[in-house]
Amino acid sequence: MAMNPMEQFEIKPVIFHDPLFSIAGHPIYFTNQALFMLIAVAVATLFLTATVSKGRLVPTRGQSMAELSYEFVANMIQSTMGSDGLKFFPLIFTIFVFVLFQNFLGLIPWTFTATSQIAITFTLASFVILIMVVTGFMKQGLGFLKLFVPSAPWYLLILLVPIEVISFLTRPISLSVRLFANMLAGHTLLAVFASFVVLLGAAGGILSVAAVAPFLLIVAIFALEMLVAALQAYVFAILTCIYLNEAIHHANH
Amino acid sequence: MSEPAVTHTGTEAQHSAGFPPFKTESFPSQIFWLVVAFAALFIVLWRFAGPRIAGVIGQRKGQIAGDLAAADKHKSDAEAALAAYETALATARAKAHAEADAGRKVLEAEAEKAKAAADAEAREATAAADAQIAAKRAEAATHVTKAAQDAAAEIVNRLIGVSVTPDEAAAAVKAVGA
Repeated sequence: MAMNPMEQFEIKPVIFHDPLFSIAGHPIYFTNQALFMLIAVAVATLFLTATVSKGRLVPTRGQSMAELSYEFVANMIQSTMGSDGLKFFPLIFTIFVFVLFQNFLGLIPWTFTATSQIAITFTLASFVILIMVVTGFMKQGLGFLKLFVPSAPWYLLILLVPIEVISFLTRPISLSVRLFANMLAGHTLLAVFASFVVLLGAAGGILSVAAVAPFLLIVAIFALEMLVAALQAYVFAILTCIYLNEAIHHANH
Repeated sequence: MSEPAVTHTGTEAQHSAGFPPFKTESFPSQIFWLVVAFAALFIVLWRFAGPRIAGVIGQRKGQIAGDLAAADKHKSDAEAALAAYETALATARAKAHAEADAGRKVLEAEAEKAKAAADAEAREATAAADAQIAAKRAEAATHVTKAAQDAAAEIVNRLIGVSVTPDEAAAAVKAVGA
């Protein structure tokens, strides 16, 4: 049995071995990642619709959680973007719920964590930046470019404008790498410690008893990973809010 | 990713060659399914779940606001009822006072009238009694004059043996009494 901690990130076709179709010459497979991504979406849909279907005045536990997540995102938007940011609510709510459920579902053994793939996180981050740029030019016209010009004496601007441009260009990278790296590192760590448990357990004697140590560590890291899963979803969503806020309101550096 | 990893050699070695997230041949599939999954979730949240949750929350807020407004209305109704009760009580009290006053005035007037009638009666009776007394006195006075005349005539007769006519005696008494 290969104990490669990277194996869990391997993308493989499932159910269908052949590509379903191809787009511009690229074959599209139905992969383990696609399967769990769709399962996460289905679970999120169930969680946010079935719990509120009765619309009880005094909410059940599930309904209360759905309402809490809704109001959490609404308050996040209110506090970072103000009331006129609420038109982005469906987008930010979707981003938050999507990342949150991908992260959480990935913590269950034998599932696949879609957010541990740079292709996924970078696409999401680029999408956010694209929306920001389009909204910015639509709302502020060329004034949106003031984003790159902080209020400073002209001789400082020579230095500051390139810095602002570079920091803007690194946004999709930092946004995507933060989520990707957190997920990848956490899951790798869990797999490494899990392989320690197996190796020590198989070694026999006193070493088998020592296998308890990495096992306890896995429990602790798993708890930490639950926190990271929620926190990274929050961070991704709030950074989206902050970037979109710069698009709809004049940046005042 | 064209075939599942089955053996340690051959395809497996080929597969494990790179860091899985950086294998670009998987990117088209990844991005395609991301778009599908994200779009599906977006439509669900935007069209169904979001409005539904917002509706439930709004409904609860509306219910609470409505209940509070109803409670406020009940309170103001109760206050209005209390005010109306107090007004009615004050009116009734004032009316009762007025009626009592009117009753007392009627009674006083009647008493006054009765007193006046009684006074008048008493005066009449007094006047009648006075008249009677005066008549009696006059009569008594005539009797006294007569007695004086008789006495004078008798006294003269006894003293000097002269009989005096009643007319003379009367004249003499009158002269003395005048």
